[in-house]
Amino acid sequence: MRPPREGATSPVAAAPPSAAAAAAPPRALVAAASPRVSVTAEAGRLLGQQAPLLATLALAAFLRFWQLGAVGFNSDEAVYTGSAAALAGNTTLAPMFPVFRAHPLLFQSMLSIALRLHDTDWTARAFAAVIGIATVAATFALARSLYGRTAGLYAALLLAVMPYHVVVSRQVLLDGLMTLCATVALCCVVRYLESGRMIWLSAGGGMMGAAIITKETSVILLGGLYAFFALTPGRLRIRHLLLASLVMVTLVASWPLMLRIAGHSQTSQSYLLWQLFRRPNHGTWFYFTTLPPWIGPAVLLVALAGLVWLRDEGTWRERLLIAWIAVPVIFFTLWPVKGFQYLLPIGPALAALAGRVFARPLPRPPWLTWPSWARISGRAEGSGRLAALRTLGPRRAAMGLLAVVTVISLAVPAWARIEPSASATFLAGSGGLNGGRAAGLWILRNVQDGARLLAIGPSAANVLEFYGHQPVAALSVSPDPRNRNPAYTPVPNPDLAMRRGDFQYVVWDAYTAARTPYFAGQARRLASKYHGVAVYTSTVTVQAPGGARLVEPAFVIYQVRP
Amino acid sequence: MKARLAVLAAAALAALLVASPAAAETRAATPIRHFIFLMQGGRTFDNYFATYPGADGPPPGTCQPRSAGRPQEGCVKPFPLGDRQPPPLGASSTTITSQYDRGKMDGFVSAYQKQGRNGVPVMGYYDRRQLPFYWGIADRYVLFDRFFSSARYGIRANRSYWVSAAPPPGGSGAVPAGGYGKRPTIFDQLQHAGISWKFYVQNYDPRQTYQNASLANPQTQTSRVPLVNYARFTRDPALRRHIADLDQYYRDLSNGTLPAVAYIASSSGDNERSARTITAGQHLVRNMVTQLTQSRYWNSSALLVSYDGSGGWFDHVRPPGSGSGAFGFRVPALLVGAHAVRGQVNHTVLSYESALKFIEENWGLSPLTARDASATSLTSAFDFAAGPRPGTVLPPLSAAPAGQLHAPRAPAAPVAAVYGFYGISAAASIALVVLAAGWPWLTRRRLAMADKRAARTGGEHL
Repeated sequence: MRPPREGATSPVAAAPPSAAAAAAPPRALVAAASPRVSVTAEAGRLLGQQAPLLATLALAAFLRFWQLGAVGFNSDEAVYTGSAAALAGNTTLAPMFPVFRAHPLLFQSMLSIALRLHDTDWTARAFAAVIGIATVAATFALARSLYGRTAGLYAALLLAVMPYHVVVSRQVLLDGLMTLCATVALCCVVRYLESGRMIWLSAGGGMMGAAIITKETSVILLGGLYAFFALTPGRLRIRHLLLASLVMVTLVASWPLMLRIAGHSQTSQSYLLWQLFRRPNHGTWFYFTTLPPWIGPAVLLVALAGLVWLRDEGTWRERLLIAWIAVPVIFFTLWPVKGFQYLLPIGPALAALAGRVFARPLPRPPWLTWPSWARISGRAEGSGRLAALRTLGPRRAAMGLLAVVTVISLAVPAWARIEPSASATFLAGSGGLNGGRAAGLWILRNVQDGARLLAIGPSAANVLEFYGHQPVAALSVSPDPRNRNPAYTPVPNPDLAMRRGDFQYVVWDAYTAARTPYFAGQARRLASKYHGVAVYTSTVTVQAPGGARLVEPAFVIYQVRP
Repeated sequence: MKARLAVLAAAALAALLVASPAAAETRAATPIRHFIFLMQGGRTFDNYFATYPGADGPPPGTCQPRSAGRPQEGCVKPFPLGDRQPPPLGASSTTITSQYDRGKMDGFVSAYQKQGRNGVPVMGYYDRRQLPFYWGIADRYVLFDRFFSSARYGIRANRSYWVSAAPPPGGSGAVPAGGYGKRPTIFDQLQHAGISWKFYVQNYDPRQTYQNASLANPQTQTSRVPLVNYARFTRDPALRRHIADLDQYYRDLSNGTLPAVAYIASSSGDNERSARTITAGQHLVRNMVTQLTQSRYWNSSALLVSYDGSGGWFDHVRPPGSGSGAFGFRVPALLVGAHAVRGQVNHTVLSYESALKFIEENWGLSPLTARDASATSLTSAFDFAAGPRPGTVLPPLSAAPAGQLHAPRAPAAPVAAVYGFYGISAAASIALVVLAAGWPWLTRRRLAMADKRAARTGGEHL
């Protein structure tokens, strides 16, 4: 028995393309009945039909590839690419970047194949960017399934230029692939809800499994699906759910199984414990204060306004999207550990909600309703229906204009974010680390094999290790195992280590110094005490609050001796 | 007129070049423009490198009798000292003579036993676990296993040979009242030739010279720094300024003022004479080598590390020579440098005079005595044809060095298993989506086929 089709009265949702396609006569019969159409003409027609989508994808590609390698990696990118390079057989990076760390390895495994072909940081970023573009296409498919082709195009366009997605998908982060898998999974669930076919829910389970073995935090999204099905009874058959769960669990099981086979179960448990009990890294309202400018206030407003405006037409579709968005937002607001990119999977759902609005004509303002409009225009010789039709075009145009304004409001900050800019501060996950690559390459060229460096914190240390191919320790790594990432080893007594000659260089960087002034001061003191001579300095030009441009040091490397 | 001016200018320039330290360096006959020689405390080759692969360690069956002439009392085989820290052996002239036993080399244990002391520790040796830095140096550069101390006994004697290729005036005991007199040293030769030199002394105290030494105030600096036993090196400012604290070595490396020839004497806290100072000595040498590696001088320098006598420890190789030409027991010696042969165990018979010979040949100086004149130079340890090779900073000595961000790895990642598991997972999830998307098409195709079959069947019936 198929689930009842709730919301079938919606003019857009009533005839989704898939349904239309399903109702179409067999292709063989059509071909036999119609005159033979040339292949070229058919291709041209298809191209014309897909031109808006292709243009959107091209725009997404442009924003994701423009100046892709202008700024070097940040810490997370260095770690993931380092792990992938280790998998790809890079023996230099393997000792510094263990394959088994905090997260599963689907993304790193795929990336390692790309690195086997071309082992550069640009290749890694390009791989992530391609995943970002695929997510735009998946968002189109999702919104089209929900609200039709026009909504799909708008949703894809919004995600293509959304600064949040643009910036994250230009980085080598797990969140890009996780978002792609989660979006496809959501799309499969939508298709299941529309068609009632078990295969779609199983495919959704498979994709959720893939999302989880990309990054385990995507398990939170299951809470969104659970909330939706709990609020929408009668749309899920137990048999289908069991099979989909089996598929998902089978895929996810590969992760602990893999760890067990590799003898790294303890590693994973250590990471889990650390994640559960580590100290908060941002305030409770971090996402509410930080994310809106990145997602786009216009997108949020339009999505919200659409929910109010079209509440009478509300169906399970909006409930599904809201559940998909709300659960991770609530969870990560309450969870002490927050990452800038953690909420990326809500981007496509928000874009779909906003795209749904743009696909509709602007509501008629009260002063434009019949008969007032007729009196003003003096052209109301026909019926009210005719007048309404006459006003439909301008209202569609007005909505189009609103969409354009929204897209521009996203594209301008997105462009500003991807243009290489100098900054003395840095939000983890929001881009590359200015000056990190140059400092790392200096280390690669000038520091002797076996020399050891001491940085302020592990973030800069990771970047320097990746580019410099030299081990870099970090002052701020806590000697207390409960307060440090299990991947790192502390320097319990930096002074003693310096006295013993364990380190040949001390690295100071502006980004870490801004976050941990205490350890930055300690690094300076050690450099001063142990005859530090600055052998490398890089600067960034930053804009002061008054508008003046100031040259600030970004990285300083001191050569030290006992 | 112009030509004359040009000749004058060229002559002046040439004179300037000759006079400058840089010019002296460039006068070197080999790419080694800076030669550094560090002298540590008493150790034998077998004490430090008995089990080093490829080196001449004690042969199987080596066993030193506990009592000379009494085999029934048994013998002591070489054994690893591990982390034990035996007290300094305190070898006197009599002890060393008994150990040598007129060339029979069988008195290493009994020399102590007959004094009523425990001679067993003499046979102890260290290995890579206790000497990771020195063994690491040997792996990468040159280890000499035929490097003999110049005198069988005496720190003063060996250190006198170190700088002058001759025993100290007045023997190896106290410094004569007038010091070492006019005995020439390699530094006199260098000074005369205008070649830069320095003698770096760890914890240098300019007041500690032979003039102030007495039985009550032995002034250990006079033992380890032979130059402070010379009146001219302690009084003549032009010479005295060449003796500097070890800190100056690091500054010179950093400032670009490293001399062509540098000798270094460590302090008693770092000289490895006692077991307690072995680690400290390795730290010291590691720092010196590390700083040299990181300096601009790496490609043009060589650093020799050796020891000023046996210290009473066992060594199985009888020293060559006899009479005034007799050598002492083998001592450890390591050569570090960009031109040093990689991982060589050098079997050439050498001594401290070999270093003097190398300096003399490299900078065109005449020999000091017959000993350095007849010595073999260090050239067999260099490979100038290969060109300089980049330096390596050797790992810290601590068991768990604080130099790495990431915890030491356990087993390597099973790459095939990772690809297998994740590949299958990814392929399965994509296949399911493709299958779900293609399901209507497959259904239509099946229906079309059924239609065709039905049409054909119908036609046949007609």
